[in-house]
Amino acid sequence: MTTLESTRLSETVRASRRRGRFARKQELTAWLFLAPAIVILTAFMLYPMVQAAYLSLTDYNLIRAAEWVGFDNYIELLQDPAFWNAFWNTVLYAVVVTPITVGLSLALALFLNRQFVGRAFVRTAIFLPFIVSLGIIAIAWTFLLDPNIGLLSYWLAQIGVVTEQGLLSDPNTAMGAVMFVGVWKFVGFYMVMYLAGLQSIPEELYEAARLDGAGAWQRFRNVTLPLLSNQTLLVSVLALIATLQAFDQIYVMTRGGPFFKTETIVMLIYREGFQELRFGYGAAISIVLLIFVFLLSMIQYGYFRRKQVRY
Amino acid sequence: MTVTLVNETVQPDEHRGSAQSKRSRRSGSIVSTYSIWKWLTVIAGIVIALAMLLPVLWMAFTAFKPETDIVTYPPTLWPREVTFENFAEVWERIPFAQLYLNTIIFAGSVTLISLLFDSMAAYALARLEFRGSGVVLVLILLLLMIPFQVTLIPLYDMLNGIGLTNTLPGLIIPRMTNAFGIFFLRQFFLSLPRDLEEAARVDGASEWRIYWGVIMPLAKPALLTLGLFHFQYNWNDLLWPLIMSADVESATLPAGLALFMGQHVVEYGLLMAGALLALLPVIVFFLVIQRSFVAGIATTGLK
Amino acid sequence: MQQHRSSTRRRARRRLAVVPAALAVAALALAGCAGQGKSSAEEADPNAKVTLDFWNGFTGPDGPALEQVVSDFNASQDRITVKTNIMPWDTLYQKVLTAVAGKNGPDIVAMSASRLPQYASEGLFQPVDDYYENADYESDALTPAAAEASVFDGKNYGVPVNLATMLMYYNKDLFTAAGLDPEAPPKTWDEFAAMVPKLTVDEDGDGKPEQYAIALADHETVPMYPTFLWNTGGGIVDEDGEKSLLDTPETLEALNFWVDLVREKNASPVGLAGADADKLFQTGKAAIEIVGPWMTTGFDEAGLNYGLAPAFAGPTDSVTLADVVSMSVPANADATTKEAAYEFFAYWNSKEGQITWANGSGFPPTRSDVAADITESPYPAIFGASDVTSNARVLMPGVAAGGTIMENVFTPALQKALNGEGSVDDLFTEASKQAQAELDK
Repeated sequence: MTTLESTRLSETVRASRRRGRFARKQELTAWLFLAPAIVILTAFMLYPMVQAAYLSLTDYNLIRAAEWVGFDNYIELLQDPAFWNAFWNTVLYAVVVTPITVGLSLALALFLNRQFVGRAFVRTAIFLPFIVSLGIIAIAWTFLLDPNIGLLSYWLAQIGVVTEQGLLSDPNTAMGAVMFVGVWKFVGFYMVMYLAGLQSIPEELYEAARLDGAGAWQRFRNVTLPLLSNQTLLVSVLALIATLQAFDQIYVMTRGGPFFKTETIVMLIYREGFQELRFGYGAAISIVLLIFVFLLSMIQYGYFRRKQVRY
Repeated sequence: MTVTLVNETVQPDEHRGSAQSKRSRRSGSIVSTYSIWKWLTVIAGIVIALAMLLPVLWMAFTAFKPETDIVTYPPTLWPREVTFENFAEVWERIPFAQLYLNTIIFAGSVTLISLLFDSMAAYALARLEFRGSGVVLVLILLLLMIPFQVTLIPLYDMLNGIGLTNTLPGLIIPRMTNAFGIFFLRQFFLSLPRDLEEAARVDGASEWRIYWGVIMPLAKPALLTLGLFHFQYNWNDLLWPLIMSADVESATLPAGLALFMGQHVVEYGLLMAGALLALLPVIVFFLVIQRSFVAGIATTGLK
Repeated sequence: MQQHRSSTRRRARRRLAVVPAALAVAALALAGCAGQGKSSAEEADPNAKVTLDFWNGFTGPDGPALEQVVSDFNASQDRITVKTNIMPWDTLYQKVLTAVAGKNGPDIVAMSASRLPQYASEGLFQPVDDYYENADYESDALTPAAAEASVFDGKNYGVPVNLATMLMYYNKDLFTAAGLDPEAPPKTWDEFAAMVPKLTVDEDGDGKPEQYAIALADHETVPMYPTFLWNTGGGIVDEDGEKSLLDTPETLEALNFWVDLVREKNASPVGLAGADADKLFQTGKAAIEIVGPWMTTGFDEAGLNYGLAPAFAGPTDSVTLADVVSMSVPANADATTKEAAYEFFAYWNSKEGQITWANGSGFPPTRSDVAADITESPYPAIFGASDVTSNARVLMPGVAAGGTIMENVFTPALQKALNGEGSVDDLFTEASKQAQAELDK
């Protein structure tokens, strides 16, 4: 009995040693695979970020020498109405645009995964906004949306819809207009992510579900959605991060106006850093943004991770 | 593209509704429900497509308009008079060929190198077990959240210190990998089936062989998608190439096109003509990917 | 300055000892900086070959005209070569800041005179008063408004690149159609106000006019509303740039007049950017626009039948806006570079240079003695006529906080008033406090 036990013991030891050696080897391999990325990211992103974090504790203005000011910038921003305005605009933008983008891109992907004549054309059309330069397309949108001479408002006027003021300059609609362009621009990209995910779902699963008598909705609910959970996690985390950093179309279309109605946090960072020459203050805002985005993404990531485990 | 198609974008809701109901009323008695659905799908698809395309179509048609026709009331989508002068003038006004070449070198090399490094890192994070993988992943996610506007100055400072500003390597090296790309590919690698890889491992294949020979071919659609993302992002980027290069000649296309956005007067025709020419390679890239999707869906897709 | 900055950085970095990698890169960065150091104490070498990197924002049709003058200058002598780097103004400001932070900047920077004081106050540029003292450079011939636009804190930091005055463009056909004399544009605010009911046309009665009396832009534009404040004796800030005038009775009178005219009488659409206003006039949907010489080409090509006249006068005067771009020399440029830059400045503002520039760009010349030689178009002479230039004023010259007050205080308050989000008096009394706070910083 003792001998039996000891052999069993030594076997486990040997096995775990083997596993250990394998694990150690795999560990080394893993770091080798990661090495180029880690070196580049550390040098060109992490290090500048640490620099920026340091500058957020100074009054650096890009020209004069930086003077240490401790946490003054942070104390100031918590009392700065411009910061809170930008903060709530950003939250509003993210809360509206993220779910719409994720939902719409999934719907379009499912729609375009069906066979129909002209599908390639429709896919290309939906994807095209994503690959066109935003700076150029913003000019097209401004032209189309112009309330007096724009093509869209002209067409709308033909059918009796009068646009009183430019959508982008009316304080009540400006945020909606930049949100719309944000969705329009990115939905095609997220759709392609979903499309790529849909391809990896084996047809047999649907066959099996059909044999079990599952209807279209049940097949979607029980096969498609769970198997797309990796894409959903990816798309929603990316969309959330992207919306919390909304900048480009706002910069080219409204500059944060009218009267800061569309100013997001990154717009404010840009304005403080490069226009007001308060780079230290801008850096402090960005650190706060970073912490905020990080916390939100981790909550979101954790939520989806738990959902993922269920299936 | 015909004018009738274009008109359908005009009033998406109105038009789509009436077109659909007319269709269904007319064909309902003769054709099966299945066929009606099919047609509705096609119509809905085309309406969505044209609505999405409207600004791009405007851009394309504007490129063929004489400057005075662009700012005229009533506005039209279709040029009242077609001209090719804008294209000719784009070539005269900016070193277009040189900028095209610069842009291809910059966007092309960033895309290729970044795909390699991104996928290597993603492979380690998705398929290999090692201590600290969680930390690395979280750090990469964190880097994804850094607004570019903040790191720009310290990054430029550093590159300038090591003499890389105004050079091609200085332009490319910081973009050789990308937190977004790593996270993106990791998610896709996670959803790939493990059997092939396990079989290869049992056969004693090295991790590099598994990565290069098994995972990468399987991940082709994801790689192409990410490749397109990197390509279009760098292709269209204005600020980074402009800040990192000494003059317009050594910058990229967007810097050249920006010259048509005058300080007081925008030369719409030239700008749109240049933008249209600049868009072509990206569209070609997309059409290549589009083919790979069709192939993939034909074998495993859901109908 | 460079030494000072490096040492502060090093000192602060020691506190941040958590990042050893930072130190290594910093050392590299310092080594890189040291190599580029330029001492301004050294004597100018009059024989040294110099290449000057000239950054400016003359995109669009003005670019080729600028390049022409530069290449004429390069051909006129063989010592100095000017290399232009043209990019949009926005990008230029950002690139200047990035490059200056990296000690890798240009030798000459063009900048809007209203933007210059902010940078000058941070020590980005060196004064060029000795340029104006040197008789060889003929700076006495320059239009005073252009030369004085770049004065900050008693020192002149720039030499003019261009001077744009604003005139009233009015569409004669629309005047005729409204039953008004096409040769009698409004001369005063009251004359204009009387014309508004005729020139703003809402034929279909849907509440939205098809035609407006005037196209007034309130954002992303050459300032249009601020000049009206001068016409009642008000303004945004006083002449010394020390006191906000936004809550004075004169300023509020002007703002109330215009906000009322726009909101109640639909004199102009609300929410126009500068480019929108241009398009509105160009499509014949606005009868009047007050704007600079750059629109003449487009309006002529569009076949508009328009007239040019000085903008209507307010109760006090008829001062209009002068938009000036100046070129400056960065603080770290050495004596040789600076001297070479002066040679270029002098050529640019010489008779020859200004004739080429005015002919190519349509801008009025920066000096008043060449009008007769400008033959390509009549507009440079019209916009550069001495009664126009002498009546034109730069907005908030020499006020370091000018840009901030314009972007963050005045424009938002104006947009709120135009959108009916508060009364002019309340909004601008509040705005005045904010403006004063910016001035006191």
